[in-house]
Amino acid sequence: MIRIFHNTTYHFLKHCRLAAGLTAAFIAAGLVTYVTTGGPNYSIEFTGGTLMQVQFKQKPDVAVIRSTLDQAGITGAEIQQFGTELDYTIRARDEKQVEAQAAGAEGISKKIVSALTQKYGAGAVSMVRTEAVGPKVGSELRSGAFKAMLLASLFTLIYLAIRFDWRFGLAAVLSTAHDILVTLAFIKLLNIEVSLTVVAAILTLLGYSANDTIIIFDRVRENLRKMRKGESLPEVLDRSINETLPRSIMTHATTLAATLALLLVAGEVIRPFAWVMAFGVFVATFSSIYVAGPILMYIESRYPRGAAEAQSRAIRAGTDAASAPAPSTARADRAKAR
Amino acid sequence: MANLKYRLALIVGLLAASAWSLFPRTVVERVKRNGVFVYDTVNRVPLKRGLDLQGGMHLELEIDESKQAVANKSEALDRALKVVRQRIDEFGVSEPVVQKAGDNRIIVELPGIDDPERALELVQKSAFLEFQIVDKSQAFERVAPRFDEIAKNANIMVSSAKIAGGDTAKSVGVTSLLTQKTDSTKDSTGKAVAAVGKDSAGKDSTAAKAVAGGLFSTNVQPGQMPGMYVVPEAAYAAISQALALPAIQDAMPPGKTIRWGVDSLVNGAQRFFAFYVLDSRPIIQGDALTDARPNTDPVEGNVVQFTLNNEGARRFKSETGKHVKDNMAIVLDQRVVTAPVLNSAIGRNGQITLGGGSLQAAQDLALVLRAGALPVPLKVAQYGTIGASLGADSINKGVLALGIAMLLIVVILIGYYRFAGILAVSALLLYLIYTLAMLAGFHAVLTLPGLAGFVLSVGIAVDANVLIFERIREELDHGKSVRLSIDEGFRHALSAIIDTSATTILSGMVLYQYGTGPVRGFAVTLVAGLVASLFTAIFVSKTFFLVWLNRSRGVQTLSI
Repeated sequence: MIRIFHNTTYHFLKHCRLAAGLTAAFIAAGLVTYVTTGGPNYSIEFTGGTLMQVQFKQKPDVAVIRSTLDQAGITGAEIQQFGTELDYTIRARDEKQVEAQAAGAEGISKKIVSALTQKYGAGAVSMVRTEAVGPKVGSELRSGAFKAMLLASLFTLIYLAIRFDWRFGLAAVLSTAHDILVTLAFIKLLNIEVSLTVVAAILTLLGYSANDTIIIFDRVRENLRKMRKGESLPEVLDRSINETLPRSIMTHATTLAATLALLLVAGEVIRPFAWVMAFGVFVATFSSIYVAGPILMYIESRYPRGAAEAQSRAIRAGTDAASAPAPSTARADRAKAR
Repeated sequence: MANLKYRLALIVGLLAASAWSLFPRTVVERVKRNGVFVYDTVNRVPLKRGLDLQGGMHLELEIDESKQAVANKSEALDRALKVVRQRIDEFGVSEPVVQKAGDNRIIVELPGIDDPERALELVQKSAFLEFQIVDKSQAFERVAPRFDEIAKNANIMVSSAKIAGGDTAKSVGVTSLLTQKTDSTKDSTGKAVAAVGKDSAGKDSTAAKAVAGGLFSTNVQPGQMPGMYVVPEAAYAAISQALALPAIQDAMPPGKTIRWGVDSLVNGAQRFFAFYVLDSRPIIQGDALTDARPNTDPVEGNVVQFTLNNEGARRFKSETGKHVKDNMAIVLDQRVVTAPVLNSAIGRNGQITLGGGSLQAAQDLALVLRAGALPVPLKVAQYGTIGASLGADSINKGVLALGIAMLLIVVILIGYYRFAGILAVSALLLYLIYTLAMLAGFHAVLTLPGLAGFVLSVGIAVDANVLIFERIREELDHGKSVRLSIDEGFRHALSAIIDTSATTILSGMVLYQYGTGPVRGFAVTLVAGLVASLFTAIFVSKTFFLVWLNRSRGVQTLSI
């Protein structure tokens, strides 16, 4: 039987300050980039505008495309190579033109195609896809995505508060918030375009990270119930992380394998999604060890639970209800008084 | 081991049901054959491919409140939904999606559309048909000075370079336009050029009269009928901007309204736009229409002939009778299609002259009118088309990614867990089939992000098995028997598996609620995948272990 990281006794929490410094630096780097280069690189779905993907028969010169479009009255369009050197995306963000398109007037995409066809000749340029979004939809999507994240966090918090303890719930949600910040920093540092798909990836990764945290917390809860003599909470946390380490490594390995397959072969459209997910695997691992644990420790130091209370929670959690001794009311009261 | 039999029966039963639900079946559908739509029996796999996987177009329509305030949006949208669906059906698209999203939006997905422009027009056309009498009381001339003032205050003007260009061409342009017959609303380059010179002295005096200095008095020229005015292209943007000003709307003479014509008029290098002053109260609206058919008239070209209902016919007859020799504008979606002279009262049957429009345009207009006018004007909030070429390509890549991901996972699982890994892989195969079947059951549409979510869910699905296997290993470490270790392993892993799945399913539901299109597809695949993985990891792999234990009684070691 092959075993990796079996019976390890790493002192993870000893390094929590270093970890905090690292992640804070990463977030700060992201923030600085946001400030210096402007907000997120939102996709067409968020900004409103028209996006076209065109394919040329022969490798075109971007400057020529740009001047052709300028002459056709489409100024300030973003032109980007997309995948092969024959594929380009053209993005026009002129709101007036988008509105005109929605009103049924001559479409901007039509204009672009006719301008390019005129320049390069019939059949030399083909339209692969077009998307046009009104600016109002953009703001709706943004608030929708934001709402989804808030709600998902809220549900997680409530669920964990019921199933575990509010301390665990809060620690898990805060570590998820950390994941959002780190991922946003990553997205900005790599200049990944924030599209709906990327938002979906962020939400998936939040779920994934919460998963990882919950599995460790589940072990912590179990170990708290049968705490060894003289063992402190940090020690229990370390032990729990070590005990779940083989599982973590296996799961992250398989998920990463699937994500790498997406990243390498699934093509240009899915690549931003795959990048975020690949990064997410690391963030999830990191945050469930170095963020969720220390936060739990911190909360515990501010709002400690009595031994009795811990036991009563264990009973409420259900599994050992029959075997655990009922807490005496006196001890519970003393715990509350503290 | 009756228990085991039931377990196996359930797994096999579900497998059979899944296979059945995934089997291609024949359906009668409207499909395109050699460019013509026919009903035909086709073979379809229950899993629909999304637009991004087969090409087509995605449209989101919302109520356009700038044209008309809507009291009960949700209800109006329900009625609009029916109309849109009917139009799409008549248009003939296989497997279209027409659904309401929230209470202010309709989502239309048209797979395999090869003419997006036409589809866009058709769906979007609100077919808000009105017949309005063209004003002949010179209402515009009376308010033009006031309009000039408002435009000046709002600082709307035509750039000087453009005015110069407009002025030089104006005298020729307007004169020749004036010589045209009633079908002036179409793009009539040929005729206009032919008409230059003939009757050119005509009404130059009327044109000169309007010049006085303001935006309107400089650029607006009377057209060839009372109540019609033409604007050179250079001034079009400024004039239409000015006309949209609330102050101008307020300054309109009571009971009158201004509408632009559908097309521009071309004369040589110069292009003109026409607007009309109309009585704002329509004679009848599109809802009085009972039928509309395209036809080709030897004189008029392509026309749409319409029939009115009893009440509409009565009203139409009395109103048109009152306005003989006046022009009546046929206004579609707030734009004047044509404004013929009423030679006599018109009763139940009338026709809309398209003046040079193609037969296809006549067919589309008839279709839109017949399918019913939209109860509210709709506008396109979002649209996108994707070529089928991208679709085929992305399917191949997605499937390849899925294959590679599966292969890697199988290698990792079997390499690490040996015999138990083989059990897990078998459970994983069942997982794939169950998930696909569930997606078919949900009528889910497979999209590229959905496929990615699927690939990812395979990676995550393994987690449940990994949790269980690691627990079993721990129990074995504690020196428990194989049988007991398996039982305990499953039992202890359960709470973590349930907690993690529950939170992910909650997130998936939130995603579904607030996502649109592809993100929803992604959420559905994610949740379906999780449910399937719960079943296969907990129930199916336990059953496999039980079968194995049953076959090799008294076994002392487990390859895990």
